[in-house]
Amino acid sequence: MEDRVFSSVHSTVFKESESLEGKCDKIEGYDFNQGVNYPKLLRSMLTTGFQASNLGEAIDAVNQMLDWRLADETPVAEDSSEEEKDPSYRDSVRCKIFLGFTSNLVSSGVRDTIRYLVQHHMVDVIVTTTGGVEEDLIKCLAPTFKGDFSLPGAYLRSKGLNRIGNLLVPNDNYCKFEDWIIPIFDEMLKEQKEENVLWTPSKLLARLGKEINNESSYLYWAYKMNIPVFCPGLTDGSLGDMLYFHSFRTSGLIIDVVQDIRAMNGEAVHASPRKTGMIILGGGLPKHHICNANMMRNGADYAVFINTGQEFDGSDSGARPDEAVSWGKIRGSAKSVKVHCDATIAFPLLVAETFASKREQTREPKT
Amino acid sequence: MSDEEHHFESSDAGASKTYPQQAGTIRKNGYIVIKGRPCKVVEVSTSKTGKHGHAKCHFVAIDIFTSKKLEDIVPSSHNCDVPHVNRTDYQLIDISEDGYVSLLTDNGSTKDDLKLPTDDALLQQIKSGFEDGKDLVVSVMSAMGEEQINALKDIGPK
Repeated sequence: MEDRVFSSVHSTVFKESESLEGKCDKIEGYDFNQGVNYPKLLRSMLTTGFQASNLGEAIDAVNQMLDWRLADETPVAEDSSEEEKDPSYRDSVRCKIFLGFTSNLVSSGVRDTIRYLVQHHMVDVIVTTTGGVEEDLIKCLAPTFKGDFSLPGAYLRSKGLNRIGNLLVPNDNYCKFEDWIIPIFDEMLKEQKEENVLWTPSKLLARLGKEINNESSYLYWAYKMNIPVFCPGLTDGSLGDMLYFHSFRTSGLIIDVVQDIRAMNGEAVHASPRKTGMIILGGGLPKHHICNANMMRNGADYAVFINTGQEFDGSDSGARPDEAVSWGKIRGSAKSVKVHCDATIAFPLLVAETFASKREQTREPKT
Repeated sequence: MSDEEHHFESSDAGASKTYPQQAGTIRKNGYIVIKGRPCKVVEVSTSKTGKHGHAKCHFVAIDIFTSKKLEDIVPSSHNCDVPHVNRTDYQLIDISEDGYVSLLTDNGSTKDDLKLPTDDALLQQIKSGFEDGKDLVVSVMSAMGEEQINALKDIGPK
């Protein structure tokens, strides 16, 4: 009798499992006995689990974005134009990449990773917040410093220091920004009145990239590489404060957001036959603006979100890619990944294993 | 040296209409020029140096002639124009049919280039006082080349 009870309990506790062999990857971390080999260490993340695995998936997704060519789409669509049927043309058509990021990342060193991508025309469209623009320009005039999250606010205020997380930006930096930008607004107003220029946020940012003329700035490279930078919330930041003050001194500068939404959505709508990919760091406006534009073409083909938002409060910032699929912002067939991680850690590592390593491969002669 | 007569045009030499003053030192009830108009300051607030750049003074002021509300924001270290505002009293001699007044100046001549004020209350006071035959003295405010009657004094019964 005891034997029967034992064997039934045994079969309950030790329920026979389905074999995952061959269906799922085995979990295996990096073995430091191999030495400290960074590329291998990064590649091991895919099988390490949790967010390391998500980062590994994100790296895969971005590499797919970079490897895709129209030539991969077989058979050739019947309604293709003559040009689209030409094999060498099909080999040249690549994925269109939208890069979005929030301003805190530009205050951080991730700004230099972004600059690298723009400098080498590795992305096609940029969307950011006002801070994401001015922090880049201000760094060309004066540096941002490393501080600490725990520095007391009242003390910092008395010293004229502004805290962004554990970074510090002195007030004086913004004064320098004001002294630099106001004359540019005067010029722009003059051009508006005399040459009938109708300014938009993206045109203004191209002009600022031209004026800053500094190779450490991603805006400078965006201007040189003709990569549009969209910032529909242009008034919400120090740059907006400057527009506010400028309007008292000399009023009349007009900045048209309607033209820019035509341009932004147009980037997505007219992307075909190219596929589109979204790489979005952080949440908020950049995340939604890029997803919304891609909705206009029935969804992006690739999506990588790197942010720390959570979905329990229903916010768009915390929403997973699957929520975007329900809106038509990402295609059901798309490869999409969310990495729950601070982008200051995840993004440089991702670029190392994707954009940068591919570029290094094409530069070095193969041995 | 030739025996020519040098003909000099008389002009308002030297007396400038405004003078510069640092924005941070202009207080409530002082005067300031905004968009070319002489104004009296009714409110000043200063925002400290911060994300918006240099410390700035926000002025709310009333045009002394048109009573329109104007505002301006100026960095506190910048200079603003402050108008010279003068007040002179003249005795009212006559009101003409087309609304001009005739005033007695200090040296006994008349000043006839001013119109009646546009402010209704003041206008009524002047008209009724004049019709009653009272001796009226008007206070004329002048700034930046503009003049206007802005107050009335009754110096006593006839």
